[in-house]
Amino acid sequence: MRLFWSIVGVQVRKRMAYRTDFWINSIVAFAAELGVAYFIVAAMFSGGDRVGEFSRHGMLLYYISVILIGKVVRSTDMEHVIAGDIYDGSLSRYLVYPTSFFFMKYATQIGSLVPSLVQIFLFGAWVPFVLGVPEGLQITPWTVAMCAVALFLGNALHFLVTYPIELVSFWADNCWSLMVLHRIVAGLLGGVLLPLTLFPAWSQKVLAILPFKYMFSFPVDALLGRVTPAAFFQGVGVAIGWCAIMACISAMVWRRGTLQYTGVGM
Amino acid sequence: MMRYPRLFAHFLRFSFSRAMEFRFDFFFRIAMDGVWYAHNIAFFWIVYRHIPLFGGWTFDQMLVFAAGVFLADAIQMTLFSNNMWMFPNYVNKGDLDYYLVRPVSSLFFLSLRDFAANSFVNLLMSIGFFAWAIAHYPVALGAGPIAAFVLLLLLGCFLHYCLQMIFLIPVFWLQSTGGLREIFWSLDRYTGRPHGIFTGYMRKMLVSVLPFALIVSFPTYALFDGLTWALLAHMAGVTAAAFLIMLAMWSRGLRAYSSASS
Repeated sequence: MRLFWSIVGVQVRKRMAYRTDFWINSIVAFAAELGVAYFIVAAMFSGGDRVGEFSRHGMLLYYISVILIGKVVRSTDMEHVIAGDIYDGSLSRYLVYPTSFFFMKYATQIGSLVPSLVQIFLFGAWVPFVLGVPEGLQITPWTVAMCAVALFLGNALHFLVTYPIELVSFWADNCWSLMVLHRIVAGLLGGVLLPLTLFPAWSQKVLAILPFKYMFSFPVDALLGRVTPAAFFQGVGVAIGWCAIMACISAMVWRRGTLQYTGVGM
Repeated sequence: MMRYPRLFAHFLRFSFSRAMEFRFDFFFRIAMDGVWYAHNIAFFWIVYRHIPLFGGWTFDQMLVFAAGVFLADAIQMTLFSNNMWMFPNYVNKGDLDYYLVRPVSSLFFLSLRDFAANSFVNLLMSIGFFAWAIAHYPVALGAGPIAAFVLLLLLGCFLHYCLQMIFLIPVFWLQSTGGLREIFWSLDRYTGRPHGIFTGYMRKMLVSVLPFALIVSFPTYALFDGLTWALLAHMAGVTAAAFLIMLAMWSRGLRAYSSASS
């Protein structure tokens, strides 16, 4: 565990080294995403007070929450890092370390989360005071705690889903398109583009079974008090189940991939 | 005059033969864009299950707008994206020399050298989807408005290229465009939404100073409501201004460029 937190600390310091660049990107990216979401919501509610089960403020609160939670779940820095290590041969040094590559990369991911968590606090703390919490939603210490658990699981699940995709680099000359494909699908089926409750009724069971909901929509629903305790524990169970499945797939892909890894770089 | 089309033909031949060397990436980029098209259509389909109009447009009109977004994206990905991606690296490593010493426009060479063959397949797909959306539209639109749409869309694509270059050229001074490139792609989200949903100063900004909402939305607006001189002048004026700003920045950037090669 000491090694784990050491790696986390190194990554945090690395992420905060280019502070100006980091904060300019964060603020502009957040403002742009929020701007698009705000006007989409305004356009959707131009003809009425409710869309599905959402009020205008409720949907705005949902979008702000999903944008901020998405930053934590995705840990953008980690995209293509593993593939890059395989392509340029730097995976070789990890293979001789007395600890697993998976463990080190997961620790690096956790380290890169810290600035995102700071962003959540800075960009999100004002929201309940400015927008208020609409009727039907609630943000309490209990919902924040549920969200924290769901967020941890969502981040782990996202890592476990992208890990075997990046390991495709052992065989393919470029897996960038697979990563983007995953991002697109997870964005739609995970509730980033639109709340999942707006999807047709026939799709709800499928969305509940797939892992994407538990990356984005589930932590947001937990935060906003939109899940009952029973539904929360059921969701946690499904997320843990998917983590286990993806961990097995990751182990299999890693074992096959390292058998043919040559370490000469591209 | 024929030198540039001949040179571009060479770029095409080279790019197609190189694309087939990386077949996994070739086919998966086609799949990736196909899924991106589907996810955009799904977004509008779900929205229209709950509301009849979005940004003043019906679902059929939005399908045509979406087709325009796919066309613009495919043109950008086919002609410019690979080149734009590599441009900051050339500046930082001194590899820009290769382009500067050639007896052709360095901007032309740099911007169009790498033609993405896989994205060309997506361009064909997006043309097919556009044809379907037009055929599916309940009212016959006529050849004239469709021709005007295509011309304005091409103008919008050129504007998109100029905007992207404006955000990338500062690499000559900053040595890193990671931040500016991210800012550009953040703002590029506004291209995929109709300008009718934006209001007030935001709309004014998005059709003038940061004209991302102009690129596809104005051509689509012209297709449904007719092309007016005011719309044409607005779009042409903004595009010309962006082009001139880009040229000025490019010229200054080259003066600041210090080759790293020996």
